[in-house]
Amino acid sequence: MFLWDLVFVNPITNALIILNNIVLGNFGVAIIIFTILMRLLTMPLTLRQIRSSRSLSALQPKIQELQKKYKDPKRRQEETMKFYREAGVNPLGCLLPMLVQFPIWIALYNALRIIVGGTPESVIGLSQRLYPWGYIEQAVPLENNFLWMDLGQPDTSLILAFIVFASTYVQQRLATPPTTDPRTQSTNQMMLWMMPLMFAFFTLQVPSGLGVYWAMSNIVGVVMYYFAHGPERINWRTVLLPPSAAPAGRQANRRGEPPAKEKEPSEEPAEELAETALPTEGKRKKKRLRHGRSRGKRKDRR
Amino acid sequence: MLSTLFLGTACARIAQPEGWAGPTLADERLVASIGRGELAAIDIEDSSGRVIWRFPPKDQKHPDGSKIDPEAIYSTPLVADGTVYFGAYGGWLYALDLASGDIRWQVETGGPVIGSAVVQDGVVYVGSDDGRLYALNAASGQERWRFKTGDSIWATPLVADGVVYVASMDKKVYALDAASGEERWDKPFKANGGLASTPVLANGTLLVGGMDSRIRALDAASGEEKWHFKADDWFWTQPLVLGDTVYAGCLDGKVYALDVDDGTPQWEQPFDTGASVRAAPVLLDDVLLVANREGVLYGVDPQDGQLVWPLPIDLAKTVLSDPLAQGAMAYISAQGGDLFTVSKDGKRALLVLTESGD
Repeated sequence: MFLWDLVFVNPITNALIILNNIVLGNFGVAIIIFTILMRLLTMPLTLRQIRSSRSLSALQPKIQELQKKYKDPKRRQEETMKFYREAGVNPLGCLLPMLVQFPIWIALYNALRIIVGGTPESVIGLSQRLYPWGYIEQAVPLENNFLWMDLGQPDTSLILAFIVFASTYVQQRLATPPTTDPRTQSTNQMMLWMMPLMFAFFTLQVPSGLGVYWAMSNIVGVVMYYFAHGPERINWRTVLLPPSAAPAGRQANRRGEPPAKEKEPSEEPAEELAETALPTEGKRKKKRLRHGRSRGKRKDRR
Repeated sequence: MLSTLFLGTACARIAQPEGWAGPTLADERLVASIGRGELAAIDIEDSSGRVIWRFPPKDQKHPDGSKIDPEAIYSTPLVADGTVYFGAYGGWLYALDLASGDIRWQVETGGPVIGSAVVQDGVVYVGSDDGRLYALNAASGQERWRFKTGDSIWATPLVADGVVYVASMDKKVYALDAASGEERWDKPFKANGGLASTPVLANGTLLVGGMDSRIRALDAASGEEKWHFKADDWFWTQPLVLGDTVYAGCLDGKVYALDVDDGTPQWEQPFDTGASVRAAPVLLDDVLLVANREGVLYGVDPQDGQLVWPLPIDLAKTVLSDPLAQGAMAYISAQGGDLFTVSKDGKRALLVLTESGD
């Protein structure tokens, strides 16, 4: 724990306080700027995660075909992995960047909890983490009032909880890869409501500074997703409306992405399947094939 | 699933106020916090530590009809004329009958009360997290005056010679007329960090520690700084003055002995306890008792800072409250409510163990 604090929590705590001084003692603004900076810093990982997620979702119809084709679980798994390999897609590719970012987010969360904890005990705890620099010491105590909130107390007005709920919902809706598997669809559907509700509930329990961080982190996530995918690939109407129990094909299309052509299950080899699938890095030839259509469209528009 | 894990990890330790009220002794009764938001009068003549009364009462409410919930008690109870005065984190200041524990009056401030109340000439002075210092009639709780500072007041005010000195988290020390609340200095003294430490007065010098890691000596008449001493962390304890020396515990884990007149260190090196010192050092006859946050107690020679006890006493509890020294005996309230007694020869005893009930 000592090393964890030394490497992650304490530097973030001090950085937040320095930022607080830079923005003239408005800790709410400091939280917002810090969240944006952190998300920008981890943007390469986030983008990689988005790309991996897109690649995986594009392969879903073919994976479905393989699952239908091979009844033996062992063979099915072998063929699926073989297909992933040949398509140049790592099924854990979207998970790994998220795992790498995790320590940073947990440390940031802990730092916020320590700084805006509000109780005398937490202020003593804060003293143990501050670097002995006059510039930092002068910042204490921090101004906890931001907009209508006391950042050290839960926001009981429900406004922040609603913002956290809405932003989590939109981000969740955008980030969940479309799937044709009914079981995954059902899980996704449940998580789509559960996560925002959970975050909103926690917002009512914890210091509102953490709620500000959650809301801002979600909003930045949505903006990043918007630019990573391109405006033409997101249909905001379908994102903002609650999903209906649509058939698999429509579920896959809920982000307004071009619909994947439904094909009859075929015996085509994995290499052919990969040609039609979204490749990842290192498959530039295939990438050109994939993006040819949308580029052409952009040209037409010009 | 990962998000749930994330939330679980993060939300596991959301801070709750625990309180660190020190004990007070009056009429063979020890008034002390014996748990989060709970105060009790304990019969010290009874070897089993019999509880005479407890606060909050179950059957009483605030005047506005709300339930009495102190949340946590940081304010060390003060006993004057048979009345116990203390503030609570819930924002109320209470006056209780020492004999029965009945509420004589209760007044709500605009925020949590962290510092202790002070009674002088029939007036109670108490600071609040709402940034105000309140002066109330000690008998009725009726407000005499109030003074607004720029931030929370967590320190206990000091009243001497008709002047109330109060340190605020707005980094300033104010000197106010005890009768009217008018400012006495041309301008308040401004430090570089918040001030949560209770000031003390010694020969016209006001000593106050701060979150800028400095203990300062101010001219009590003008508020001008005489000297300051810089340590490695904040000073949050009330300094103890013995003769020409001021002893101050620091969150850097050390206790410093400084000359009151010029701030020169009086020991070869500060006494290092190894963990933050929030509890004020107290004197047990001729032994300086120092308690660190981890509940390790040291008996130190105030002359040279050397250990008097061969071994420290480990209470194995967090200690943040100021011990109460009574001759050769000290009463120590640990976090969670356990009460200990420690004698000047380094022997400890458990007075009240709260986990077992009474």
